[in-house]
Amino acid sequence: MTKLDTLLAGLARERSTGALQVGRSGTIFLSEGRVTYMECAQTPSVERLLAARGLMSEAALRRVQGDGGCEKLLTEGALTPGELQYAVLGGVLDAAFFLLPVSGARPKFRPGEQHWLGGQWFFDVPGLVRECARRRAQLAEIWPSADVDSLPVRPLPRLPGHGVTLSRVQWEVIVRADHKATPLELAKQLGRPAYPVLVAVRRLAASGLLAAPDLPQRGAPAEHPPHDPKARAQPLGPPVTGDPTDLALLMRLKKALEELS
Amino acid sequence: MLGIDGCLAEVMSIPGALDAMLVDHTSGMAVAFSTAVGVDADRSAAALTEALRATTDGLARTCPGDVVRIDDMLVTTDKGHHLLRLLETVFEGPLVIYVRLDLERSNLALARHRLSTISSRLAT
Repeated sequence: MTKLDTLLAGLARERSTGALQVGRSGTIFLSEGRVTYMECAQTPSVERLLAARGLMSEAALRRVQGDGGCEKLLTEGALTPGELQYAVLGGVLDAAFFLLPVSGARPKFRPGEQHWLGGQWFFDVPGLVRECARRRAQLAEIWPSADVDSLPVRPLPRLPGHGVTLSRVQWEVIVRADHKATPLELAKQLGRPAYPVLVAVRRLAASGLLAAPDLPQRGAPAEHPPHDPKARAQPLGPPVTGDPTDLALLMRLKKALEELS
Repeated sequence: MLGIDGCLAEVMSIPGALDAMLVDHTSGMAVAFSTAVGVDADRSAAALTEALRATTDGLARTCPGDVVRIDDMLVTTDKGHHLLRLLETVFEGPLVIYVRLDLERSNLALARHRLSTISSRLAT
């Protein structure tokens, strides 16, 4: 159990209501000891996901948040209570997957604070922890190496066979992969929760459709001409050399010392 | 317009329904389930998701040139019928409605019809 799990289990036992801020990584909202909402900096928020589906612009969602909240969202937006519950449920589990393992941040609890999308679905803390563990095991079962989760997604330029079937998310990942974006960046671009994108990328890796990861490049920055703004700054003053066989320097030094004496 | 729990109750009111479950297809998680004795909802949800995925893969190869979009899937065993309905929502999906029906007491055509009505009330 991580430190955050233990803290959360304590808040659940005391049936606390409020918001637990975990540094800059995210916030967990509780109501009477049950988790109602969770945000994580690494995953797209539910608002972002709803906006990405063309339901409502993020600006319109912010207006609804300030005036009317969820009830207004259900009457105005084209979504049913079930869909809103499912969206919150998916968003919270996605955030939990990345937020619960966070360590090092000092969590701060603000009693009473609530999120406007909270109250749609209630999670008990052990269930949430168990589901995150199940998802981790599922990823490891698909493809054991976690390297592909954080490296840029680089699909092979040629298929090592004659045909392949892709799922919907895999298709979107392949189309969007620019050989620079990592799976989490792709998830934000696609407006999809991060976990399904990780699953898709691991399945691609398991099918041998991704290029082998490069070893991290050490030193050797690309050479830029000196007029390029990205070029390394020139040293100030005349070029300095520490070469012991620099005769000119030694001669100048000898002359200077002679003049001193 | 239904919520998730309301949807589950509606599915259980289909004549001959024995258990029902809502499954998140991307993660294989049981979102909600009726309380049947001795059913491990988490594991059956994960296994049913794999079965659907394998079926999609299989169909993609048997109907070349088509993009496979499954509406529902029916498995009949010697004890009963198992109906799975895939449902697109505004959020990530699909959401899968699973229902197990009694072999003797259920009417398949009616059950499929009821499921499609319920789906249209759960997702717009």
